[in-house]
Amino acid sequence: MTKHWHEIRDPIHIFVRLDTDERKVLDSRPFQRLRHISQLALTYLIYPGATHKRFEHSLGVMELAGRVFDTITSDQNVTDELRDLVPEIARPDERNYWRRVLRMAALCHDIGHLPFSHAAEDELLPDGWSHERLSRILIENELMTKIWKEMRPPLDPEHIVKVALGARKTKDLSFTKWERILSEIIVGDAFGVDRIDYLLRDSHHSGVAYGKFDHYRLVDELRILPSNEGSTEPALGIAEGGIYSAEALALARYFMFSQVYYHPIRLIYDRHLKDFLVEWLAEGSLFPGGTFPINVEGHLQITDNEVNVALSSAARNPSAKGHEAAIRIIERKHFRVLYERNPTDLALHSSPGEVIAIAAKSKFGETSIRYSKPKIKDIAADFPVRTRDGRVVPAIAISEVLTSLKPMAIDYVFIAPDRLKDATEWLLKERQKILETASKLEKEDKK
Amino acid sequence: MNRAQRLAILTLLDKEMLANKSWCGETHLQKAIFVLQELLGVKVGYDFILYKHGPFSFEVRDDLSIMRAEGLLDLVVRHLEYGPSYLPTEFADKFIQRFPRTVSTHKAQVKFAAKSVGNKNVNELERIATALFIRKNSKLKTIEKRVKELVKLKPHISESDARTATREVDLLTKQSRQLVFQN
Repeated sequence: MTKHWHEIRDPIHIFVRLDTDERKVLDSRPFQRLRHISQLALTYLIYPGATHKRFEHSLGVMELAGRVFDTITSDQNVTDELRDLVPEIARPDERNYWRRVLRMAALCHDIGHLPFSHAAEDELLPDGWSHERLSRILIENELMTKIWKEMRPPLDPEHIVKVALGARKTKDLSFTKWERILSEIIVGDAFGVDRIDYLLRDSHHSGVAYGKFDHYRLVDELRILPSNEGSTEPALGIAEGGIYSAEALALARYFMFSQVYYHPIRLIYDRHLKDFLVEWLAEGSLFPGGTFPINVEGHLQITDNEVNVALSSAARNPSAKGHEAAIRIIERKHFRVLYERNPTDLALHSSPGEVIAIAAKSKFGETSIRYSKPKIKDIAADFPVRTRDGRVVPAIAISEVLTSLKPMAIDYVFIAPDRLKDATEWLLKERQKILETASKLEKEDKK
Repeated sequence: MNRAQRLAILTLLDKEMLANKSWCGETHLQKAIFVLQELLGVKVGYDFILYKHGPFSFEVRDDLSIMRAEGLLDLVVRHLEYGPSYLPTEFADKFIQRFPRTVSTHKAQVKFAAKSVGNKNVNELERIATALFIRKNSKLKTIEKRVKELVKLKPHISESDARTATREVDLLTKQSRQLVFQN
């Protein structure tokens, strides 16, 4: 007898269940490639267990997306007000169609990732390109559209693109309210299942327990609610009973960013990897143009495996392109932290790390200094909460935890290990002078 | 305009909005920044799309987070049933003072934007900002065609409210040209 449901064991969700159409996506070349794309790049050099891949993360995102969909569309959670606001939710055929779109979008949301995921993305693709744009190309490519067309009813690839990537990454497309909610389920700032899965999974594999939280309760309490500010715009919110698990999610995010994602040594390894890739790709023998390929075949051929072979080879050969950066990774001779920003320095200049990095480069040479300022992360996004007495209020109005979690800003200057001692002494003497001079220049406010 | 100068303009706008009795929620700031950029030509460099309550910029949202992280704005709940407000911190004034040229160049436009939309509620802001979006991005010239487009894009807006908003945008456009001419 033909099996229509398939189960895959998973350390986070115990079982991930998928139907035969979803299995076809799983078996496709773009999805199988994710078996060879690390979720956390070179983080395993600090946390040895963190060797998991985008493949299992994408399965986890699909599993969670289905659960969230079933919760927010269950009869007990769909009010008349909601039916008026989002009519699709009340039509069973449409609801089933969009559930399939959502799960397929969840499966495909990461298929455009470059080797080593985020770490290698900036500067390694032509202008205007990103992994999301590559994901879109793959979802709309015949490798995948064949699957969408054979489904009953067939799925519109544009729907999958919108839900998988959200409006931020598909600015040329317009979204209905319903499509906005579905994309929020995957990429939303507050309760995106991409975020929920990666926190749980990264925490599990890195051994950093802070990332765990009660996601079962969280998912059970999710609701579609009118967003705040007196409008009827619907948003993904939560029933008041879930506020503690929402707080736990925000705290998990805070700890995972401070302990893992923005760990200074992870950041400098990312930078060494980028330095290597820039030189390796610039050689042009593998891919013309000095960047990763943006055509489908080229993209599918390049994974962490190819980069690892090149890294290892470059580390052994002093005349190879990227030898210096490869040695720093393979022999773990990474740069060390010279400076980390602090509130006192921020009061003097709007970008103290950048100013210190410029001065340090002029003193110790361009090649001995690296500056890292990762994107500021909003740890606790606001969301609507349905209180027990039926009102809808902003989460930060009822949660002191969410109110106190400010966005996280990080700013590091790194230096080559052999210059660390001299540079530390130099910075002790010069820091105040450097910042005061820069502050004076900033106050002159030249265009 | 560099990043720090842009944040100085946004901080100033937030202060002026507050002075004009704005709620200073995210939607209020999003729409005021849209007016500042699209109507008054201040090159803050944001990409707006039609999204939540009309024109919306994810980059503005990012900058509001940056401004909280850098101690320029606090997110404050002023009323339980409304969204939180972005209020300037004590450090905000000191920060703005670092950029005297940027402030003097754009102060009149910032004041105009804050005065024009500062005290409007979310629904009014959605109507006006979407009407402005249509005026800037479509080739529809007559008021009636733009009214129809506004109702098409936002079916919950009545034709009468759409007409009022479209006329208000035309008036603001005329006033903003005079302001640019005076400067």
